[in-house]
Parts: sequence; C-alpha cells; structure tokens
Amino acid sequence: MPLETEARAELRALVADFAPNDGQLMAALHRVQHRYGYISREALEVVAEQLEMFPAHVYGAASFYDEFRLEPPASTTIRWCSGPACRLENGNGIRDAMLAVLGFDDLGERTDDGRIEMVNGQCNGTCEQAPLVWVERPFEHERRVVGKLTAAEAIRITREIRDGESIDGGHETVF
Amino acid sequence: MVNRLMGGMKLSSDTAQIQGNFSQIREDATTVYERWRKPQRPRIDVAIDTSSLANGALATSNAIEQIANDRNAAIDLGQNHGYGMQWLQPLVTVTWPNGTSVIYGPVNPDDAALIVDEATGRSGAASALAIGVLSGEHTEIPSIREHPFFAQEPEQRRLIARIGLTDPEVMEHYIGSGGWAAFARVLYRGMQPDGVRQELIDGAHGGRGGGGFPAGVKWNFLAGAPGDEHYMVCNADEGDPGAWVNRVVMEGDPHLLIEGMAIAAFATSSKRGFIYIREEYPLAVERMEQAIRHAEAAGLLGDNILGSEFSFQLEVVKGAGSYVCGEETGLLSSIQGQRGQPRIRPPFPAAVGVFMKPSNVNNVETFSHVPLILQNGHEWYREYGTEAMVGTRLFSFSGDIPNTGFMELPFGAPMQEILSACGGVSDGAELKAIHSGGPLGSLVPASAMPTLTLENNSFTPYDAMMGSGGIVFVSDRTHLVILNEFISEFVEEESCGRCTTCHGGNQRMTEIFRRIMNGDGRRADAANLKLIDDMLQQSNCVHGQFSPKPMRNLLQHFREDYEELALQRRDPTLTLPGMTKFRVANPRDSKIEDAVAICPVNAFQGSVGARSINDDACIGCGACTEVAPGAIVREPKQLEAASMPVSAGS
Repeated sequence: MPLETEARAELRALVADFAPNDGQLMAALHRVQHRYGYISREALEVVAEQLEMFPAHVYGAASFYDEFRLEPPASTTIRWCSGPACRLENGNGIRDAMLAVLGFDDLGERTDDGRIEMVNGQCNGTCEQAPLVWVERPFEHERRVVGKLTAAEAIRITREIRDGESIDGGHETVF
Repeated sequence: MVNRLMGGMKLSSDTAQIQGNFSQIREDATTVYERWRKPQRPRIDVAIDTSSLANGALATSNAIEQIANDRNAAIDLGQNHGYGMQWLQPLVTVTWPNGTSVIYGPVNPDDAALIVDEATGRSGAASALAIGVLSGEHTEIPSIREHPFFAQEPEQRRLIARIGLTDPEVMEHYIGSGGWAAFARVLYRGMQPDGVRQELIDGAHGGRGGGGFPAGVKWNFLAGAPGDEHYMVCNADEGDPGAWVNRVVMEGDPHLLIEGMAIAAFATSSKRGFIYIREEYPLAVERMEQAIRHAEAAGLLGDNILGSEFSFQLEVVKGAGSYVCGEETGLLSSIQGQRGQPRIRPPFPAAVGVFMKPSNVNNVETFSHVPLILQNGHEWYREYGTEAMVGTRLFSFSGDIPNTGFMELPFGAPMQEILSACGGVSDGAELKAIHSGGPLGSLVPASAMPTLTLENNSFTPYDAMMGSGGIVFVSDRTHLVILNEFISEFVEEESCGRCTTCHGGNQRMTEIFRRIMNGDGRRADAANLKLIDDMLQQSNCVHGQFSPKPMRNLLQHFREDYEELALQRRDPTLTLPGMTKFRVANPRDSKIEDAVAICPVNAFQGSVGARSINDDACIGCGACTEVAPGAIVREPKQLEAASMPVSAGS
C-alpha cells in the first residue's frame, strides 16, 4: 500500500462515491481531469483502488481515449477543427500556418515553455462558423470559438497567443 | 414466452392511481407551459445551444439583459433552442402576451436595443432582423413555415415540434406540451411490452443510426433474452464529422429521448439504461443529466414510476474523444470501463451486452420517435417517407453552401430541392460531390443530383450510403482529394488498433493520398488503393470494413479528377500546396508589404519593391493572397506526368 499523502487523500475523497463494477470508470476519470486538468499516475492508482481494478487496466483504458490527458495541459490549447466543412474552407492551410507561427511540425506539440499546445479537434456541428478553432484555457475551464477564419486572421491570432496577449475575438462557449 | 416475461413486470393493479398521479403532474405542467406561451408581459428568448454559443449568443444575451435592466423594461428574459437556421445565429425569439412569437436573427449585441424596443411595443423596430412567425399571427411577418430553408420539411414538424417553443431545461414545458403522455398511457392502460413492440413493428420504425434495422424487431431480441437483468443503451456518440442531428434532440428536447428510452425499457423488461454521449457535446451532457434529475424528482424515472411496479434507472456516460465508441460494441466496452474496442460478433448485444448481460443499443433519434408513434399511432407515422423508409428524420447540412443548419425531412426528399433550400452552392461554384454518412460513408457525384433522394435506395446505385444524417455539399473550388486524405487519416487515428487491416490499411491509404497531393502520384497507386480496399473489408467491425468506401467512390465516380491529379500531376483548383506555386505578380502593389508581414514562414525575399517568394520556404497557406490579392497569384507548379511503370509491381 503506497504512502498516504495529502494529495492522495484529496484524490480519494474526490472519487469516494464511485462504486466498483458499475460502469463508473469514465465518470471517475472525467472528474479527476476536471479537477486537476489531467490524470496523474497517483490518480490512476487511487481510481483503480476505488473501483477495485488493476492500475494497469485503468491506465490501459485511460490511454485509449484522446481526451484523457496523462500529463498536465498547457495553459492555452488551440484546438483546430478537422471537420469537412472546415477543410473545404482552407482548413489545412490554416492549420499549417498556425503550426508555423508556433514552430511546430505537427499537431499535438507544445511550446518549449509548455505554455501553448495545438491539438486536433473534432467537428461538433457549428459548421456555419467554418473554418474554426477553439481556444481553450483548461485550468480556467474556458473555451472560445474563433470562427470564419482566414489564414491571415489565424496567423494574427496565433501570434497574439504566442506573445501572451489575450485574444478579443471569438465567442465564449461551454467547456 | 410472453407469460415468462411478464413475471418480472407485473403492473400495479391500481391503474387509476397511476393515471391520477400523472394527471396531477400534467395539470401543473400545463399551467406552467401556458403561462410560458402566453406570458403576462413580453419575453425575449435567446437561443442557447452549441450553434448559437459559437455565434456569440452569450454576448447577445448579456447585452439584452443589460439594456432591459437599464431601461427597467417591463419584459422577461428566457431561453430556447435555435430553430434550425444556424447561419442566422444568434437567433432570438420574442413572445408577446397574445401568444405571438417571432424569430429574429442574427441578433448581435449591437442589435440588442432594437430587440428590446420591439418587445416593449415599438413595433417594427427590429423588422429588418425578423425571420418568421413561430406561433400566432403577425400582420407583416410571414410564418417561419414559409421560410425557403424549410420548404422541404413537412407542414408540421414532428420529432422536433417543440424546438423554439419550449425552454429545454424546463421539464414542465415538455409535459405541458404533451410530453410523457405516451408513456403514462402505456402504464395506466395496462399495455403489455409485446404490444408496445408490435406498435413499432407496425409503424415500420427503422433505426436511425444508419443501418435502418427495425427497432421493434431489435427489441424483440432483448425481450426474449434470458434473465431479468436487461440494459437499454442509447448511442449518442454522434462522431461523424458534419453530422449533428442527435445534438439537436439532446439540447433541444432532452425529455423526448428520456421518455423514448423509458418506453423501450418497459417494452424489453430493462431496469437500467445508459446514454453514452460524446465528450464534444458538453451542453448535451449537461441538459441530459439535468433532465434525468428532473424526471427522477417527478417520479417519472427511478423506482416505481408513477406508482407502478415498473422501475427504470437512467444515467449519462460521457465519452472521451473516441470515434470508434460509436460502434455499438465499442460503446458497450467503454461503458464498462474498458478500452472502447469493438467486440467480435456473435455474440450480439442482445445476448451479451453491458456487463456481459443482454442489452439493446439504439440511436438517439430511434428512441425519440417512439413516444410520437405510441401517441399518434403507426398510421400517422407512416404518413411520411417512402415504402422502404418510413417517417421523417433530422438531417444536418454543411459545406459549400451559404445556409448551414438542420431540417426534419421525410425520407425520400429530393436532394436538388434541398440544395436550393440551402441557398445553392456558395460563390457561384459548381457542385462536385455530396459527402454523406461521415468517414465511413460516401462521396456521391454531382451528376446524381437530379434523381438523388434522401433514402438508402437512392444512394445504393452509387455504391454509396446515406448514413446517419450528415450531408456535406462539396464544390469544385477545393480538390476533392482533400476530403479523402482527411477521411483516411481520421479512420486511422480513430481505429481501435485491433485489426492491422484497419489501422495499417488506412495509414497506407493516407500515405498514398499525401504523396499524390504532393504532386508525386504514381501509376501503381490506383491498383494499390484497390488492394487496400479489398484488405480493409476483412476487418472485424464496420470501422475498418466501411472505411475504403470514400476512396472507392473517388476512383469510381471521379476517375478523371483522380487521374488528372495523380498521373498528370495537375491540380486545377490550385488548393493543394504541394502542387501550387505562389508568385509575386506585381511587386509594386500597395499591399505587398502586408503580405510580407503576414507570412508565417518569412518566405518573401528581396528588398522592398523587388519582393519574390522563396518556393522552398512557402507552405502554401494562402495568407499572402488574402491580404494582397492584387500582388500575388497562384500558379500550377510545373510537374512532370507520372511515368509508365518499368515493370509490373514497380
């Protein structure tokens, strides 16, 4: 039994109401991630104990899903919509331009200072705003839709984010 | 068989008591809802849904509230769900005490004062923003039903009849407008589970997930399964990019889905149910969870519903960004807390489902039609649709059209008329293709348009499928292969990883498409793509099996475009960076330095007045042509055509 730390006790309290063998792993992992921004190794162990699963099983499940993070998130995430309506509006050009501004080779990378990350996003049917990105601040549970982009506008926004300015464009939405 | 099933499901003998319980709930709800429809003072409802939020509905709502407060206006504020015209979001509805409701849009924060003026009696103040009359009468504004976008909808909406007319977060609005009556009647009339299933079979109610399998027949499998631990599962993992019809039901009328699931549970002796919702729909998750809590508090879910002996526990499971969990057995694995890997069938879910117990999985819309069919009868349900596909369904339309949104359409509705309703193809371009059914769907050629209708049979001759509601219109402005590369990469990324055919095949397909897009197509590519197609069909589940279809459609229906791109190495659309060159045509253009400044890769060289573009640095994003359209032109890169193969297999 690992040493009981304060962090561990907090985690234990956080997931105390989940029961084993009842289809509650997804909910437990979501709750941990909502609270801490990611699912730490320690959290995986606590969830496993609570649900009477092997930690390897919990890790295996958690790592299967794109939206469960096993590392702390960047403070700002640019989520580029990869859906078809966006693709038809130069979505690929917008992606490549934003990656270039941030010095990334591909999606899924983050800046050296760990501040900014750019990831692949999935269509949620707000295609009237295509092409669009979501700018998220995971620790604040904030998400803005920045849509009807041009490549030039995408470059301006990315430079603002890179330079630490808050962007005033876009619309607040549910996180 | 029936008797054995009835063993666990005896109804309260006191059906009068059940009816009395429901009457009380309905009476109270009706009062609430009537006050909502004919409010004491004017009310402004801002549409709050995923689409409206993306278009700034919160800012609009705040601005209206601010002005109403500043003026101490004698109005109330509320919310509803957008009516379907997503390109006109944020949508706002004003309802007057006489029951007349008018939809306005797009209402941006700057327009808030006009809306408040209009609501407080300065009639005509917001007339420039008026879209249509939702209910009641108005002398100057036509009915929303006459709006061209809805020309192909039935006269009256059915599945989404409440959209716009209720606050989806208020259960009383659902009940006060006829909700829960179907299920309550099942209970107090002492209907038997097999009778409920038969009504759906008589209505030929086909599943809405894409397959179209009759729901009542599917429920028979579960009803006949051994044991008394049955599960009813809703697949709300609507992951097809370009499809968002389930989102509309869950955000717009969440109790309809709950009632449908409760009836399904009754009809199959299920005591517990799950709604598996994709992570990308946080508002749908919130509204479904809230609706479940409200229904539980009213005694419409949980133990001994309405005092009967029937109990049903329902809960939401939130996914975490895995498309393959939309495959029903992957979804079952995910609910159980496993990796969302599709299982090998048989056994089918009706025998071995959640927690290895008999289960049934249906789509959101499949459940949501059920209360309507029971309420109105199967003959009513059959009034729309075709012989093969009965009823109406929701469709979402996007792509190269000005009018993005959703409609409730009868099966068999003509695609040409629908495209017209969507405003035709944007910017005077030509239609190239119709992308239906998501990544495991199809690319139908524009030449199909004159006869293409919204039913599976109409898509079949094109080796295509209609899918589960998402239709994307594709013009000739962008090269179609962009979608093929997107689709194969998507399927590869979202593969569960079990079958090498699936994750390896789609990876190989993506590589080939990328090479072709980069101006390096080969003569052997078409044959290799065919090989990948044959191999993918050996995958375990539909994710792999259906994934080669869009590629096959490209080779079948767009062969000339494919060969021009892969063999002649020409991209007539000039949208593929690997085959397009950007050139400074007018170095003295006044905007040229703006282009230099915006370039994300510093591809401009030379001094002011003598700028040129370094082709090796340019990534082809197009930003320079946006800011300096007169200075920079796109040209085809000069590429040699693909050479003939030296020997077989080269």
